[in-house]
Amino acid sequence: MNTTVDQAQLFRRLRWHLLVNTITELRGGSMVRPLTIVLSSLLVWAFVFAVSYSGLRFMIEEAKIPPDEGIVGLIIGLMFFTLGVALTFSTGLILNGSLFSGPETAFLLAQPLTADRVFAYKFQTAVAFSSWAFLLLGGPVLIAYGIVASAPWWFYAMMPFYFLGFLLVPSSIGGVVALLLVNFIPNQRRTFLAVLVLFGLALGAWWIWGLITEGRRAGQPEEAAAAILNRFSFARSLWLPTAWVTKGLQSAGRGHLGDALFQLTLVWSNGLMLYLLVTWMSTFLYRRGYNRCATGGDLRRKHGGVWIDNILLACLCFVHPSTRQLILKDFRTFRRDPQQWGQVLLFTILLLAYFTNLKRLFIRGLEWPFQNWLSFLNLLAVSLLLCTYTGRFIYPLLSLEGRKFWILGLLPLERDRILWGKFGFSTVGGLLVAVPMVLWSDVMLAMPWEAIVLHALAVFAMTTGLSGLSVGLGACMPNFKETDPSKIAVGFGGTVNLVIGLFYLILVLLFVVGPYHGMMTLVATSDQSPTPFFWLIVALGVALGLLTAIIAVVWPLRDGIRSLRRMEF
Amino acid sequence: MIQLEHVHKRYGTKLAVEDLNLTIAPGELFAFLGPNGAGKTTTIKLLCGLLFPTAGRVMIGGYDMRTQGDLARPLLSYVPDLPYLYEKLTGREFLRFIAEMYGIPDATARERISQVIESFSLEAFVDDLTERYSHGMRQRTVFASALVHNPKVLIVDEPTVGLDPYSVRKLKDELRRLANAGTTVFLSSHSLDVVEELADRVAIINHGKLIGCGTIDELRNKARVDGSLEDLFLTLTLPQPEDQLAPTSEGLRP
Repeated sequence: MNTTVDQAQLFRRLRWHLLVNTITELRGGSMVRPLTIVLSSLLVWAFVFAVSYSGLRFMIEEAKIPPDEGIVGLIIGLMFFTLGVALTFSTGLILNGSLFSGPETAFLLAQPLTADRVFAYKFQTAVAFSSWAFLLLGGPVLIAYGIVASAPWWFYAMMPFYFLGFLLVPSSIGGVVALLLVNFIPNQRRTFLAVLVLFGLALGAWWIWGLITEGRRAGQPEEAAAAILNRFSFARSLWLPTAWVTKGLQSAGRGHLGDALFQLTLVWSNGLMLYLLVTWMSTFLYRRGYNRCATGGDLRRKHGGVWIDNILLACLCFVHPSTRQLILKDFRTFRRDPQQWGQVLLFTILLLAYFTNLKRLFIRGLEWPFQNWLSFLNLLAVSLLLCTYTGRFIYPLLSLEGRKFWILGLLPLERDRILWGKFGFSTVGGLLVAVPMVLWSDVMLAMPWEAIVLHALAVFAMTTGLSGLSVGLGACMPNFKETDPSKIAVGFGGTVNLVIGLFYLILVLLFVVGPYHGMMTLVATSDQSPTPFFWLIVALGVALGLLTAIIAVVWPLRDGIRSLRRMEF
Repeated sequence: MIQLEHVHKRYGTKLAVEDLNLTIAPGELFAFLGPNGAGKTTTIKLLCGLLFPTAGRVMIGGYDMRTQGDLARPLLSYVPDLPYLYEKLTGREFLRFIAEMYGIPDATARERISQVIESFSLEAFVDDLTERYSHGMRQRTVFASALVHNPKVLIVDEPTVGLDPYSVRKLKDELRRLANAGTTVFLSSHSLDVVEELADRVAIINHGKLIGCGTIDELRNKARVDGSLEDLFLTLTLPQPEDQLAPTSEGLRP
């Protein structure tokens, strides 16, 4: 090995060249795309800031809860805990995909580079990809906290350092897990994922059970609130880095520089230690893992699941045969990649378990207004799941055709059909998951039939609209060079799609079910029956919601089809 | 320079390479042939240290690729069948990146880069982003990058795919020149005419086993086949009754 080569500097220079050339290319091309991305990011940022600021201001100024009280720390701790768990999973999954496959990896591993340097380069790329949503969401919350708590200027200066130090912890854990998995159970990674899903499910169910039972045991509302808050206190455990970040940021907010610096040192020292651990492990596990991953399974693996495909084909008998085959192709690609659907499956099972337990655990203690809004919140949870599903899996579909696009391009069928096929795949898949979930939640909550119909309509509008947006925008902003769907989803176009999808989701909820839930609360509190005017408003809302859905389907798909027709391959 | 000792490579239950023994001397242009799925690419990946043998040893320049890979890799260059380039780098920047990776001093790097640009006629596009390159342009750029550091061992997989006749000619001349200058060239190709023209020795692998190794004349004599390398290859790799040809670890037993 040539010891005179500074490999870290080599990769820094490579990144610099790649960045400069990408910016030069962007400047030379249309500014619409980068501007859309910046604007969308700013909108999300502003929205999160506004919600956080008003919430924290209410707590601190109206409810007179001091900013250094447990509840505020709990919120910050929970935010970091949730984002940290998400980051561990996303970094682990991205690393699992990028460390052990792909042409760049093979290229780098055949060069005179040490395994830990290649690992560090891939690790940093994965962290950058998986963490910028973390910065986009975490930044405005903390700035809002700083303003409300009248924090000194150096609170804001310290914030990025807390973020960066904290990022190292979950990302390194994700890296360690990825290395261990491919080295010791390369063939059982799917089984491990299934076990992880079951474990997560059991843990979630146990936690929700405890949360609800503690809430019910408490006599007074204050006691119930305290009991529920106590249930969340794990996020502030002294052994968790989230607690160090929370404590440090609160100290900084109060102007206690010494403690803030101490906690920051704690975060960084542990983060760096974990980073060192994972890079040290990579020196002897990375090349070995690559070898195990590449040769762990049989060369020719038989893929089953023909019966599922047949069921899908039977369900789609009314669709044009070529469109049906396109849907089947996408379905096969999807179901053969458990890394992709594992996360959605986890959330779906957790939500279903929660809905199933609603009646037994909650309903007897709930009054109608709470029941009314609980059903709305459940619908919101399903909607967010749908938004994740379309953003994560449907948006990258066209980009994933990549360099193989000529196969579709040369097929004797209209290109429009390609997009309609993907739209059909997304809509059918989304409806099959979301409608039963919402109906189940409403049945468990014993909601009236009109609420169930409205919720089903809302899910229909959301599924079709989000599918139209993801398929259409995916065709307008394809990224044929990227082969990793997670990177396409978190890339520029994917983020724009996610932001537009979230706004669309809010609009549909506001129009289709907002008037019903809002006015039902008013009716219940004033002890009156719903008037014809009430139903007129609800009907108008539904009409507006469905109109929004039609626009969300037609507009992006029309532009996507135009873009696809013009596409050269 | 290259030595494979009783190398086995298993993918799950499938044995992709079985008891492979090869010794290739410095300055030898060695061709490695076989039908699709015979184990050629696996062998190449073993030589590059991308994969490790299930049993046996792969040595490059006297270093064991499993335990001393970091010492062996600076000696070799690998040109895969699907060349990889960073899309947002220009060809020149990519060559520069490779030169830096091998620790070539600045002045020497500039000189070497100019030489390989000229050798592979990259002048017309070397300052464009590689995302705009055709397959042939990519292949030539990757070849140029493989030679920037004067490797002791050059491993090439299907080098002529996508190249125009002029580039193929230049490539063949370059491979011959390298071998004459002392570089060991390990060439895997389905272009039998190229192999016939260039190779000092040829090895043929089928179903993971070496079924023949030697000069083309030696192989002809052993297989009792007159004619081109194509005839020889087809005779050896088509399914044969077991009593006619029995593969051994040393080569062909007629």
